[in-house]
Amino acid sequence: MLYLGPTLFGFLLGFILGSRIKNNPESEIHFPYSSYIVVVIAALYMAWQIGPFPYYADSPLASGFVVCIIGIFAGKIVFGRQPTKT
Amino acid sequence: MSTILKIFVFPAAMLIMCLGVLTILGGHITPGGGFQGGAMIAGAFIFCAVVYGIKESPFHFSHNFMAAMESAGALIYVGLGLAGLIFSGFFLYNLGVDLNQLVPTFITNIFDYPDPIHAGIIPYLNIVVGLKVMVGLSAVVIAFMQFNHDDEENSDADGDNH
Repeated sequence: MLYLGPTLFGFLLGFILGSRIKNNPESEIHFPYSSYIVVVIAALYMAWQIGPFPYYADSPLASGFVVCIIGIFAGKIVFGRQPTKT
Repeated sequence: MSTILKIFVFPAAMLIMCLGVLTILGGHITPGGGFQGGAMIAGAFIFCAVVYGIKESPFHFSHNFMAAMESAGALIYVGLGLAGLIFSGFFLYNLGVDLNQLVPTFITNIFDYPDPIHAGIIPYLNIVVGLKVMVGLSAVVIAFMQFNHDDEENSDADGDNH
């Protein structure tokens, strides 16, 4: 079972950061949903390589890292900034 | 900046921010803490701001957001200190650990960070310091980039007048 502290506060901090993401529709760069899936895969691999903190035995990967990236995407979906016209 | 940089920077910034959050959350166990993690998150934001430009950066830290995070960080830090003062008589007393056994057990349970290390209020202090450092360092870079933008606009206007 995941420990409540790093799970909750990792998600909260990630949510705060994700809520500040603003996509510019007029930009030449466009990130489709498949790019976010690639980011999640990379994040899972990084979390696996980082491993849990010392004395943490809740999961084989860095749970704070994973819930943070989940929180970033959750914040972007829920409170993502409205695109601005430049 | 080039398209390749822009394509790389946004995903990389997200991962660096996650590393920063991990550093904050592990400040009581591993080398790290609030300042270090907040600086990493700010570095990721600055990465995006430099490559995309401050106006088109995918991460947008508004004035109100930065003011709110700074204020929340400071207030929660002082609030935890005052809680220690109220319940134990010592400012910033670690209510979650209660080394001197000054407070009831239910107070200790409320303020203890829920992980196997039982560091008390230390992780909470790390988190709020991380928020403050993140927006503080980002605000410095935003201010410099805005000054630079204003100087460029003024020099363009002066060039047109001549």
